[in-house]
Amino acid sequence: MKFIDPHIHCVSRTTDDYKYMARAGVVAVTEPAFWAGYDRSSAASFADYFRLLTEVEPKRAAKYGIDHFSWLCINAKEAENVELARQVIKLIPPLLNHPRVLGIGEIGLHKNTANEIKVFEEQVDVAAYHNQLILIHTPHLEDKHKGTEIITSILKNDQRIKPERVLIDHCEEHTIRLARDAGFWAGLTIYPVSKMTPQRGSDILEQFGPQMICVNSASDWGESSPSMLTDTALEFRRRGHTEQELTNIFYNNPCRFFGQCSKWKLKPED
Amino acid sequence: MQTAKDCLEHQFPQMRAWCLSLAADLDRIERSEGGQALLESNPSVQQLRRAIKIILDERTNRAEQIQMLFSDTTPAPNPQSKIQNPKMR
Repeated sequence: MKFIDPHIHCVSRTTDDYKYMARAGVVAVTEPAFWAGYDRSSAASFADYFRLLTEVEPKRAAKYGIDHFSWLCINAKEAENVELARQVIKLIPPLLNHPRVLGIGEIGLHKNTANEIKVFEEQVDVAAYHNQLILIHTPHLEDKHKGTEIITSILKNDQRIKPERVLIDHCEEHTIRLARDAGFWAGLTIYPVSKMTPQRGSDILEQFGPQMICVNSASDWGESSPSMLTDTALEFRRRGHTEQELTNIFYNNPCRFFGQCSKWKLKPED
Repeated sequence: MQTAKDCLEHQFPQMRAWCLSLAADLDRIERSEGGQALLESNPSVQQLRRAIKIILDERTNRAEQIQMLFSDTTPAPNPQSKIQNPKMR
């Protein structure tokens, strides 16, 4: 079976993870720009990071037969520094035509502050102006519900934003309706600790249906693993779901969302 | 599709392990200096007690109710958006 990991931070992963993904059947990944675990000191650091995302990782992934795409932005955590954020945002438009860039992401909120909201809106504006797909980061833990409400409200108020071109990621039991009921795609992030387990991810797929849901590992520099994607597929299969249902969720759904960008060539399979 | 009995049998060892893990976590905190007082007064522990009550008392959507219990419900900041209203630019 073929998989796509719609959200993984390959810059933080070893080549062993690329090998694992290739062995497990992962044929493509997309990598959003994110917080590197420390605050960067200047916009130049982001310029280098964007080169890593658009030039280095696609070559690294290709060695294992994996197609690699990326998303560009300043992440919600570093967006608290509005002056730096605005310098970084200026770097993005010239890179949007790069063949490996799918859109703006992962933009969103971290602690739901006024500065984060300001920078989020400015990046939504860039995405709308350049007609880009958007990948959204929703906050974790106690900030998630409020943050998801703020984000969906901002997006719904902007007449230029088509909800089917936005993926609201890291949805959980209490936020998936906020995304899906408004016509957005929803992402489920499966982690080995602290967040959604393969069992809970499978529960949501069964309770809410698989339409417009992308499952991902969001593997990064913390305790996380690309195997969370395949473990969720195994859990879903163990419950009696068919191979075609699995393909629909773990391969076709990402193709349907990313396929709205002409740079994405993989097609859903019947 | 799996039956409820199959589902329980498959998941029970993990459920038992998580239950024991939470009990051991509370025991460890209690054994530490000032543990008993902390367990009685700490807001996070009080939230955990309410979460356990939801697990025991409620019949549906337990996970969603516990998610909301642990969520910040204060009003959102209003940064006076200019992006949403182009006339304000």
